[in-house]
Amino acid sequence: MNKLRFYGFNLMPYADIPPTSEFESAWVSLSNKHYDPQRGRQIYNEYIDQLVATEKYGFDGVGVNEHHANFYGTMPSPNIIAAMLVQRTNHIPIGVIGNAIPLHGNPLRVAEEIAMLDVISGGRIISGFVRGIGCEYFNNGVVPADSVERFNEAHDLIIKAWTDDGPFTWQGDHFYIPNVNPIPRPIQDPHPPIWIPGQGSLETIQFVAKHKYTYMMVFAPQWFTKLAFDGLREECQRLGYEAPKNMVNACVPTYVAETDKQAHREAKAHLSWVFNTGLKIPDQIFFPPGYMTTKSFRNFMGAMQKGHVKPQAQLSYDELLKDRYIIVGSPETVRNQIGEYCDDVGAGGLIMGGSSVGPMPNWMVMKNMQIFAEEIMPEFREADGKPDYLREEPPAPRTRTEFAAQYGPPPETARSIVTGSEELIEHRVAHLPEIIDSSM
Amino acid sequence: MSFIDAVDKVEVPRPPKHYTEPSFAEVLGVPIAYRRQGNGEAVVFLHGAGFTRRWVPMYEMLAQKFDFIAPESPGFGETPMPPWFRDFSDLSILYDQLFEQLGLDQIHLIGYSMGGWAAAEFASYYPRRLKSLSLVVPIGLRLEDNPGVDLFQLSPQQLMDRLFNDKKVMAEFMEGMDDFDEGIHLYSEMSAAARLIWAPRYNLALERRLQRLTCPTLVVRAEDDHLVPNQMAEKFATTLPNNRLVMIPETGHELCLERPAELARELADFIKEASK
Repeated sequence: MNKLRFYGFNLMPYADIPPTSEFESAWVSLSNKHYDPQRGRQIYNEYIDQLVATEKYGFDGVGVNEHHANFYGTMPSPNIIAAMLVQRTNHIPIGVIGNAIPLHGNPLRVAEEIAMLDVISGGRIISGFVRGIGCEYFNNGVVPADSVERFNEAHDLIIKAWTDDGPFTWQGDHFYIPNVNPIPRPIQDPHPPIWIPGQGSLETIQFVAKHKYTYMMVFAPQWFTKLAFDGLREECQRLGYEAPKNMVNACVPTYVAETDKQAHREAKAHLSWVFNTGLKIPDQIFFPPGYMTTKSFRNFMGAMQKGHVKPQAQLSYDELLKDRYIIVGSPETVRNQIGEYCDDVGAGGLIMGGSSVGPMPNWMVMKNMQIFAEEIMPEFREADGKPDYLREEPPAPRTRTEFAAQYGPPPETARSIVTGSEELIEHRVAHLPEIIDSSM
Repeated sequence: MSFIDAVDKVEVPRPPKHYTEPSFAEVLGVPIAYRRQGNGEAVVFLHGAGFTRRWVPMYEMLAQKFDFIAPESPGFGETPMPPWFRDFSDLSILYDQLFEQLGLDQIHLIGYSMGGWAAAEFASYYPRRLKSLSLVVPIGLRLEDNPGVDLFQLSPQQLMDRLFNDKKVMAEFMEGMDDFDEGIHLYSEMSAAARLIWAPRYNLALERRLQRLTCPTLVVRAEDDHLVPNQMAEKFATTLPNNRLVMIPETGHELCLERPAELARELADFIKEASK
């Protein structure tokens, strides 16, 4: 097994907006009149090409996620982008990290779409679930205070829909569905691996430990990521098991170039944009009332007041580097810092290394990706340089021949009675004269 | 098994001015905080989404003339939020039960702002409990062409600026509001408000249900409300049967604090007439 796994990612920002001095929030209130669909088309397709490229560059997986009504990440439906990646890649795992399951009227839609993607991709889907950030509650009628309950219930419903034979009735507090019977079911058994992105809250850590899911940290300083990962490992121990290394993934935008100085020159404006512009959000929009419990809000504001955490929009580039929100430098610097970072926090995977970050031009993303693939990833790989998934048995045969060899004919060959006839006809041979002619 | 679990009382900060100790009545497991003073006709006042825990001058003026009762809704002031609490129907049933326990039969009901919506909901469920209904800059109907500002998108400062037209009164009531615990309590109260009014910000059924009312009704609007469109009060006035509409001049949404004497006089005159 490799020392570390690398996941490419793209938030799909849209940066052709007024400067921050001219707006209060990049989310919710900044008008969509600033979105030019002609420009949007160009960058969407560049972003998709970049995500597709992660497979041939050798990444362990590629990720997409869901955000609404903002310019930081213009991917309101991650399953749509995932569907394109399914069709344009062959073997790489694709993470939808994640679908914001409390926000939508019927969680079964997510169960269905993820199952479709999993079946079509041959079991390559990682299914992430999130609450959606606070801002997202302004875009629909879900009461922020219901967020956690709806998340938990939607999760339980989706897992049951994937694992229990239907039909069954769902009688929840928030969702009532008379007939749950999603078709298709996912190809991975019992279901796609579940990743839970988190901001370090105790509730999320307990949830992940209880279900033995994979935890991934969103943007955070190194010390805080470590605190959260240690908390998760302790919680797993309390439940009587050791957390495997691959249970936790860190998220650290990483940019590499020929020299330290050149890397900073190239990355500074774009990485700063993500935090200073993309995440410019006033408190009351970031944390609508009820999104946090009063107790969590008190803890958070207390930490803020003591200066332990700073709003991300106010972090300087030097602070981002110092606290290791981001890693930037020459191949040697980046290798060393990723090694130190992941040893320190105990991460099994790194998200957003060698990826598109902020409004970088396409050439810069590809340059970052190439140097990252050639000079960083091999350091953390076995001698053959392969991602782990290429050493493992795939969840589905890779060719039709392998399928036929392994599965033979379907267990129940399709048969039917053509209305007006009495004979049960086997469709495989239904067109042969001795079968079809007798029914005519 | 218990169908009604008791909810614990909560510790809340005390604002420096106008704070008084409340009484409590346990209603459906919830210790409901209320303040009550005076004699005469029973007048119940339902608060808006803020400035709780205080016995403000307007209350005192009404308590000089009536048996004045100001309860605090779940999640506001010193009344805790039970985990089952969801909407105005829960609130209406709690208040009906509270009035029962306080020995109140028929009452004059006043609702201010979000409390105006609460009062309208209560009235639609229990019209025969009311001797009169007064709504002061209420919300809760749909203004098709004017949804108004989204108060939840406003910073505390922006909210205060829209609430108060008289910045001197604002300064007086903002004293102590920058306290850390007070800030947390404000988030908690806004969470309770969001529980009730996040979406939709109206109840279409009210227009129909309010036609059940037979008691006199009063709507009070402010001359220049920067938080809720002035047409909202106008729409309530045309919706409510037996209605009188009055306007308090030179004030905005926070008229209870800015124009206590004028508002108390309008309310008292109306209630006295309705009591005849």
